[in-house]
Amino acid sequence: MSVSLSPQPREEVAGAARRRRKPLRLFSSEVRAGFLLLLPTVVVVLAISLYPVARTLWMSLRNTSPILQQDDYVGLRNYSGLLTDSGFWNAWRHTMIFTGVSTLLETLLGLGFALVLHQAFRGRGFVRAVVLIPWAIPTVVTSRLFGYLFDGQTGLVNYLLTQAGLIDHNINFTGDVRTAMATIILADVWKTTPFMMLLLLAALQTVPKELYESASVDGASPWRQFWTMTLPIISPALLIAALIRTLDAFRIFDLPYVLTGGGPANSTEVLSTLAYKTLFSGSQYGLGSGMATLMFVTEALIAIGFAVFLVRRFAATGT
Amino acid sequence: MTDEPTPATRTPAVAPMSRRQFLALGAGSLGALALTACGQGGGGSGGGAGASGGGKTINFVTAKFESTTSMQQFVDPYNTSQSNYKVVVRELPPPSSSTEVHQQLAQQLGSSSGAVDVFTQDVIWIAEFASAGWSMDLSSEFNDNDRSAFFSGLVDACTYDGKFVAVPFYLDAGQLYYRKDLLSGNNLVVPTTWDSLTQSAQTLMKKGTKLGFLWQGKQAEVLVCNLVEFVGSAGGAILGPDSKTVMIADPPAVTAVQFMYDTMNGLGITPKGVLSWDEEPSRKPFTAGQAAFLRQWSYVWGVSQDKAQSDVVGKVGVAPLPHFPGGKSTACLGGYQLGVSQNSQNKDGAVDFVRWMTSEGTQLKYAEQFGSAPAVEAAYDSAQLKKTQPSMVALKTTFQGGTPRPVTPKYPQVSLALQSAISGAITSGDVETTLKNLKSQIEGIVKS
Repeated sequence: MSVSLSPQPREEVAGAARRRRKPLRLFSSEVRAGFLLLLPTVVVVLAISLYPVARTLWMSLRNTSPILQQDDYVGLRNYSGLLTDSGFWNAWRHTMIFTGVSTLLETLLGLGFALVLHQAFRGRGFVRAVVLIPWAIPTVVTSRLFGYLFDGQTGLVNYLLTQAGLIDHNINFTGDVRTAMATIILADVWKTTPFMMLLLLAALQTVPKELYESASVDGASPWRQFWTMTLPIISPALLIAALIRTLDAFRIFDLPYVLTGGGPANSTEVLSTLAYKTLFSGSQYGLGSGMATLMFVTEALIAIGFAVFLVRRFAATGT
Repeated sequence: MTDEPTPATRTPAVAPMSRRQFLALGAGSLGALALTACGQGGGGSGGGAGASGGGKTINFVTAKFESTTSMQQFVDPYNTSQSNYKVVVRELPPPSSSTEVHQQLAQQLGSSSGAVDVFTQDVIWIAEFASAGWSMDLSSEFNDNDRSAFFSGLVDACTYDGKFVAVPFYLDAGQLYYRKDLLSGNNLVVPTTWDSLTQSAQTLMKKGTKLGFLWQGKQAEVLVCNLVEFVGSAGGAILGPDSKTVMIADPPAVTAVQFMYDTMNGLGITPKGVLSWDEEPSRKPFTAGQAAFLRQWSYVWGVSQDKAQSDVVGKVGVAPLPHFPGGKSTACLGGYQLGVSQNSQNKDGAVDFVRWMTSEGTQLKYAEQFGSAPAVEAAYDSAQLKKTQPSMVALKTTFQGGTPRPVTPKYPQVSLALQSAISGAITSGDVETTLKNLKSQIEGIVKS
């Protein structure tokens, strides 16, 4: 062997295998150097991404609790318990509703804002910057803000609605099971629509201006132009933006945790808050890890659904 | 293309948990490292300098309590008063981040490194830490006579399985704030029963006071505190004294929870907003002068007397919470208490330091500098406290009625079950069925 100091015998083997296939003398040392340079990245990725996932999976098969000093292998007992637990499904349902409704609203509103801000008008740069402010505010602050705005007694929203004569008695936004989730969705839409807008605005800028010019020459109405040109062209970006937002919305934690604590009567309990309470307040590491794993599974299914859809679309359009 | 979503999914799905764990672990080990370093530094200087007065190191791990003086400055007089031991303070996050404090304590106490000698713990963790075998049994160090110096409710909270496993340090308790001006202006007395509170609130609301009686109904720990008070004031309890009998579906508890629901519905003295209110949202309308009565912790006194934050300076009175006929006023206990780690390498020193911290003199100084109510009952009769914390003296009766939350190592799980079910009961009004289901749920938790 020419170099015996390589700290990674495995890579050396890989290098050797490649050398046999492609006997390029220069290649082997280059490959080895390449692998060596990749090593830190691989280690970091494994340490911060794969290890926690594997560890959570492993813990979900145990009844680990530091307080009760238990740590036994229990197989799938955590899962069988969760699958028959109405509290878990309650949180699962709320998470799905929250994810679906907020993503849909944010995508539609984001698209609307993007279309408006794509037009040329005076002060556009300023408006674009201002619109982004909600997104820049920390979610915990947003939560408190909405808590005070939508307070059932002293909230500004109730005051304005009463003054406008739209309601005759205060609505208990965050304290009523019928409105609490809607309030949280509203807060999330307010906060995250700018993010969707930003992504879609970038997508709109990739549509060539000439297309619009020739479409106008051909007499296509702006409506027609939108449906037959703009939307198909930005749809991959739209779908990817929606995917990112869906996966992000699925993890919703701070809004319900700060605004309602999951209440009233569990009506805003979502998977993240439930898993957090179980893991960190209840110190049931096994059960909480089981919840996290089931969240992971649900999210993976959603992502696969999106991926299949995207691939089909690309295959159809031939991009 | 298919490859792309997978890493994206992986990260968000499990990351919230794992990242937190990872961070907590990191923080924990960093903390432990820092501690070891401190410990070695302290021990080294003591050992190396010989008679220069370092002494054996006592590692004091404490939540970061708000004050202008640091805890290290506060314990320095102990270090200079004797030469055997030297207390080194290490601070955890503040009590407002109690989950993080709990997490870090659990990690450090659980490792048998001996990096912790004395620690502060929220009153609700005492049973948990004791049953895990992390807290030293101090029964023989603090005899009955020593213990009788503290408020009896606190001693109960510090006792697990018949053993004295924590030493009272400071306390907080729920109490009734009322508007002196409104009551006296309408010839009403300070209510001692819930009936009389209801009538007074209704009278005042008819005369234009916007809100009658405010409490905290958010699905959170504070709801359990409110529950303990309502149920206790009806002569009931959540768990029996054996920590196994579940009493949450017994008639007193049903009466109490029904009353919680009724305040917002039939009686109309409480806005339904309390269903999402914790401490601050319920405090604000009261200090803005909109409410007649408020159930709150002792910090509200200071806020209500601060012109910058309050419109009712000088118009507020404090009293023990009312009770039902046949029950007695009950105040939910809060506060941090001291524990000695079972893994401590220096138990004698740790106990000596705890004795100093809980002596009347230190307690008075602590009350002055940190604004926390002393656990030693006699402190309330001292002229010093009357001078430094005049409002605290008036709370003595409230503290005497202090009642711990259920004392069980499974408290965190019991609390989550209570929060979820009670929030349901006071939202829907379906009290009896909810409590019956809750009872079997809690039985499942405490028996397993």
